[in-house]
Amino acid sequence: MVLWWNTAGALDRQVDAAIRADATALVERMSVRGIPAVAAAIEDRMAVDVQNETLYLLLAPDGARLAGNLSAWPSEASGEFPWIRIPLQRDGAVSEARLFRLELGGGHRLLVGRDVAEKLRLRGLLSEGIAWAASASAAFAVLGAWLLRRSLERRLNPIYRTARAISAGDLTRRVPLSERDDEFDKLGITMNAMLDRIAQLMEGVRGVSDAIAHDLRTPIARARAKLEESLHAAHDEDSLRAAVEQGIADLDAIARVFQAVLRIAEVEAGARRAAFAPTDLAPVLADIAELYGASAEAREQHLAVDLPESLDLVGDRDLLAQAVVNLLDNALKFTPEGGTVRLSARLSEAHAEIEVADDGPGMPDADRRRAGERFFRADAARTTPGSGLGLSLVRAVASLHRGELLLRDTHPDAASPGLTATLRLPAA
Amino acid sequence: MLRAGTLLLAVALCPGAGRGEQPMRVTTDSSAYCTELTQRFAAQATTMPASAVALAEEGQRLCQGGHVRTGIAKLRRALRVQQAGG
Repeated sequence: MVLWWNTAGALDRQVDAAIRADATALVERMSVRGIPAVAAAIEDRMAVDVQNETLYLLLAPDGARLAGNLSAWPSEASGEFPWIRIPLQRDGAVSEARLFRLELGGGHRLLVGRDVAEKLRLRGLLSEGIAWAASASAAFAVLGAWLLRRSLERRLNPIYRTARAISAGDLTRRVPLSERDDEFDKLGITMNAMLDRIAQLMEGVRGVSDAIAHDLRTPIARARAKLEESLHAAHDEDSLRAAVEQGIADLDAIARVFQAVLRIAEVEAGARRAAFAPTDLAPVLADIAELYGASAEAREQHLAVDLPESLDLVGDRDLLAQAVVNLLDNALKFTPEGGTVRLSARLSEAHAEIEVADDGPGMPDADRRRAGERFFRADAARTTPGSGLGLSLVRAVASLHRGELLLRDTHPDAASPGLTATLRLPAA
Repeated sequence: MLRAGTLLLAVALCPGAGRGEQPMRVTTDSSAYCTELTQRFAAQATTMPASAVALAEEGQRLCQGGHVRTGIAKLRRALRVQQAGG
């Protein structure tokens, strides 16, 4: 359209401009020298019109022809609009004229125009050329679009097939990758990573479900049995009340386990990452140490603290505090009377490390590998109270912060080697 | 049948209906205009360039030979050369 406007359309505009300029010049001449001068000018212009394009007709008020080369005043020229197009007879062929009507005053009428047959022919040729070019472009565009679509379909088909298989329930399927390393491969890699993550989360959910099914059934059954036994055995109101209180305490413990399991699931899902903020953990650790120092003293244990002035991190302050509390809980639980628990922290360029070391019985290698699994309890810990969820939460918090939980002996080769748990996190 | 006849009559009587008018003629395509241009050329009092004279003669010859439009074009060119020379 733009091409047509700039070529064929320009011809029309050029003709109109020429007619208007011609008419303006004749009007000026009339205003200076009168109608006879206009007639003479018309005759002069026709006499040197080598292109044989100019058309004029000057009529007197009575309709008499004063000058010009049109045989008669066309009926179309008497209409409302001053610009008209009329057919023209030239050498037996029909041509076309573009005319502009002017009222010169005193009843004199003037038509100024051009024979536009040549222009029309040229415009036809241009239009035809543009039409052919547009058709060819459209054909190439359609062909290109078809080829592009085919190519896209070929590259997207594996992704589509994988998505369809997964929606049908086959979660093991992954997008096959080519060796081109292009955008489609990047999409495939991203999709595969996403599917791995989904599979991991589903595995986690399944693990939680299994753990709840297996590990919470026992305490619930135990609480129920206790209540049932009390119902039959209690002979007075006080013993019945004591049994009910014990039942409530058991159910509270179960609720706490549920809460811990849900919190671990929430941490593992990464939902808490939105709450990450720059934080100085040193004062938090100092507060925890103060709280647990009193608790340790009550059990005749010693809590040694070695903290830096500041420990800047980016993370979830509450979760990190909870993780350290869990580590201290474990350490105090397994350290014998008179033993020492050490809470220390240090900051290097790459990492911030928070360490809790105890003098307890330690943990065998096989148990260390499983520590962090939900509800896992080492053999040595069977006799101590606990749910087996403390280290799970610590490991989940470390993972959420892109850090790790490291376990090692506090006193290697000693009979009671103790355990040192190091929470290593990336520095801010 | 009657209705078709009425329609045809209406079309025939209606002025300009179906562009029944003859197309406009151009009066400067005639041998009369050829003569008019020849006279106009001859009437110029100025000294005529040789090329203008040759063009005018050729134009007259073409007009006389029946090639009116070509002859008129030559005569117009002759007049233009004459004007430019004058």
